[in-house]
Amino acid sequence: MPDNSLSSTETAEPVVKTKKPRKTIGFYLASAWISLVMFLALFGWVLPTPQWDEASYDNLGVAPFHPSHILGTTNDGYDMMASIVNGAKISIIVSLVAVLIGGGIGSFIGITAAYFRGKYDFAVTMIFNIMLSIPNLVLSLALLSVLAYSDENNPASMTRRVVVLIISLIIVIIPILGRIARGSALQWGSREFVLASKSMGSKNFFIIRKHILPNVAPAILAIGFLAVGSVIIVEGSLALLGIGIPGGASWGSMLANGRGNIEYSPHEVYLPALCIAFTVISFNWFGDYVRVKLDKRESKI
Amino acid sequence: MNILRQLLRRLIPMFSIVVIATFLLSLLMRLLPGDPAAIMIPNGSIDQQIEIAKETGLDRGLFGYYWKWFSDVFTGDFGKYYLNGGYRDLGGVIADTLPVTLMLIIYAQIVALTIAIPLGLASAYKEGKRFDRITSTVMFTTVSFPSFALALIFSLIFAVNLGWVDPIGYVSPSENLGEHLKLMILPVMSLAFGLASGYTRLLRTDVIATLKDDYVTMAASKGISNRRVLWRHVFRPSSTTLLTSAALNMGGLIGGTIVIETIFVIPGIGYEIFYSIGARQVVAMQTLIALISIGYVFFNTMVDLLTQITDPRTRERRA
Repeated sequence: MPDNSLSSTETAEPVVKTKKPRKTIGFYLASAWISLVMFLALFGWVLPTPQWDEASYDNLGVAPFHPSHILGTTNDGYDMMASIVNGAKISIIVSLVAVLIGGGIGSFIGITAAYFRGKYDFAVTMIFNIMLSIPNLVLSLALLSVLAYSDENNPASMTRRVVVLIISLIIVIIPILGRIARGSALQWGSREFVLASKSMGSKNFFIIRKHILPNVAPAILAIGFLAVGSVIIVEGSLALLGIGIPGGASWGSMLANGRGNIEYSPHEVYLPALCIAFTVISFNWFGDYVRVKLDKRESKI
Repeated sequence: MNILRQLLRRLIPMFSIVVIATFLLSLLMRLLPGDPAAIMIPNGSIDQQIEIAKETGLDRGLFGYYWKWFSDVFTGDFGKYYLNGGYRDLGGVIADTLPVTLMLIIYAQIVALTIAIPLGLASAYKEGKRFDRITSTVMFTTVSFPSFALALIFSLIFAVNLGWVDPIGYVSPSENLGEHLKLMILPVMSLAFGLASGYTRLLRTDVIATLKDDYVTMAASKGISNRRVLWRHVFRPSSTTLLTSAALNMGGLIGGTIVIETIFVIPGIGYEIFYSIGARQVVAMQTLIALISIGYVFFNTMVDLLTQITDPRTRERRA
């Protein structure tokens, strides 16, 4: 390690010399699983499965590898394969949209707070600390139960619930990624090249875009991948608590529905549970790989 | 004196965070469509609803309500659950459920640390060897395994298929200790699994760093057995991060137990939150969530403070 760092600082092409992160078998498995889930989410409709929300009353709770239902059916006759595909779509859309929007807003607030400092920074830090003082599951639970309030007289529609779920998750994500972005941007805001750029008369947002953002991006990206995983977990937890997406439309919701039938058709539980687990694990592997790969500074040290 | 000032410097922001967070929660309750009192007792008469609005301060506007709630909680009146016709005192509910949740969390921490400490030490000692590579990979994979998925898979295997334990239920330890521990196995395992992976990784990193220190070489060269060097000379200085993280997890775990308690029907504070949301008890919900965030902020502040007291280096860095 020591002579590696020496050579990389002395040669003219340090980036080539830096140690590439080892692509482990786990990385390939993770990429394969994420690609598969993405494919199912985007092109799942080409698969010859029955409608996910249409029950087949001839095959109630059949086990996997049934000739007409490859992953079996639920106790109510819904095709598991179709439900998994539809669940992939909802779960992935919900978590990606929430992390992209929440991460975007959070990074913007965090980076500008670190750059401008002063009262703005103080207020942002305070708000982040307040939001982080409520555990993320509890916060989304409270937000969701109020924003998607429904009773027998006026039930909330499916679209409304999904939108409200995404909004709640965005609110949860903002302080998490915002704090990372702020902490990371603080190190860069006072560097010489930022000062140099300022003295040449660059506009503030030009400096943020050109000098700070590229340096902060790896940290945000890595945490962003982890955040996708945790959002999937929160979505599943909310569904299990009965206030997420109803009716088996997401993986968490499938779990919530299948929990009562665990004795008769266990595949209703372990299939979505494993889907959630594999997806979360894959995103974490991916995030770790991205962090090591993009963080050229760390590999040089 | 110095410690007292440190304490005050931490307690004031902590107190203001809790006040603002709970105020925002009561603001959130106002966003509910309709009258909160009517939501809490949908079958009650108008008179009862007015009475409840008066009792909880819901008729006084946002600030009046918050002040009423705050001063009530401060004087030990935690509010009520309104059931059809009657009510349950929330202070009693908290006194009953909080110990259950704390017990669950402490069991999970103990199990996680018992798994993590030997594994972390061993895999750091054998850094780069096959044992370490396998442990590290497994730990990295399982750290992100969601606890509710684990809970459901565990109850499928051990309760439904093998029939070793009951899938749901809770017995208090004073009633029947054996049965209590038996019923706690699955929920504790589901919580401890992910924790143990995280702890193992933390400890491994720190132990690898400590093993490179000169005094470890010195100890080894004196002829002290490897086992003794590892436990006596290496483990102690390497365990700071682990213990800090374990303490910080206490707050987060109170939130994380909601799902586990709901799955295994354990009458803890998480289950009460779930129940209060289902029963639309907005006041109870606000108090319970406030309680959790107070606990969370309190643990974080205390850990921060304790690290400063025990490790002078962090104190100097701040100044």
